[in-house]
Amino acid sequence: MIQGKNFLRPACKEFEEDLVLYYYGECQDAESHRVEEHLKECASCERFLEDLRAFLPLTAKAKEHPQSFWDGYYKEMQKKLAAMDEKKSRWKALFSVFYPWGVPALGTAVVVIFALALTFGRGMWDLKNHSILDEPPPGIQAESIDFFETMDLLESIDSIESQDQMKSERTL
Amino acid sequence: MENGSPSDLRDEELVALCQGGERRAFESLVLRYMKKAYQIAFDFTRDGEEAKDLSQEAFLRAFSQITRFDRRSSFYTWFYRILVNLCIDHHRHKSRIPWEHKNGGSQDHVEAETVADTSSTPDQEAIAGEVRRKLGTALGGLPKGQRTAFLLRNHHGLSVAEIAKVMHTTEGTVRVQLHRAVTTLRQSLAEFV
Repeated sequence: MIQGKNFLRPACKEFEEDLVLYYYGECQDAESHRVEEHLKECASCERFLEDLRAFLPLTAKAKEHPQSFWDGYYKEMQKKLAAMDEKKSRWKALFSVFYPWGVPALGTAVVVIFALALTFGRGMWDLKNHSILDEPPPGIQAESIDFFETMDLLESIDSIESQDQMKSERTL
Repeated sequence: MENGSPSDLRDEELVALCQGGERRAFESLVLRYMKKAYQIAFDFTRDGEEAKDLSQEAFLRAFSQITRFDRRSSFYTWFYRILVNLCIDHHRHKSRIPWEHKNGGSQDHVEAETVADTSSTPDQEAIAGEVRRKLGTALGGLPKGQRTAFLLRNHHGLSVAEIAKVMHTTEGTVRVQLHRAVTTLRQSLAEFV
């Protein structure tokens, strides 16, 4: 009980924490024994413990709500849980529609995106700078020149050979 | 609850049923812990409506995460952790309002606290009322950790070990926080010396 001016008396500093834990029943056996032995011979710690017993419960008590409050609380919770459960089931049902082919579809999509990203990165989809109807690509043109040059060379060889053949016939 | 309800089952059995998709089992857990949950939330908020909202939100979160509960701790420790974290977040986001002001805000608050000993004289009651008011203000001003440890121990009877689990800390830290909280609360009563 709170006694006005006698309330709140100091304890021995080294026992203060143990006394708080002792009050809450949180001391180990050895600690409890030590505290109890000390309490036998220390009036100030004994009073400190009495003070804890007096003032700590004052912070705790709360008035009980009537049963109707808890009935309402519980019914409200039931409704909220049902709504959440329904929502969860809806999502599960939606997910199950996609499930059989969801993984392969996702895999394919990833591969396609990767391929597109790769080809775009290398400018292979850059159609502006390339026209099929324009002049032929330089590589093919060079090859054509080589081809015609080779043909010219062959023709030259043929003519030299025919000249040689005519000369030999004349000498005969 | 009506016959055939799982209200007689132990928490672990109810949790197992919940994890199998049995909503009714979770409703039994709500029924079992709603008063404690509300009280914890009320201790943090000192507001009836907020306490109701927060405690219900904690139940809904627990329900949505029940399949992830690994059952290494008891259900109530796991649930208290969700609730206390919600309360702490709520407290963090709200500006600090002295409890004495909040308590004067509505009928609910005025009714909330009662004196432990009613067999006292008017003088003693007046002192007790003043002590209670001082304690309420001091409790509202405690650092988060001290306040949480104090509320869970003093108001809800959780052991130091359980509080340590709820707060993700060591038992040693909880002991120190509890001691500091009590010391601060005592100091708030200095004028009564």
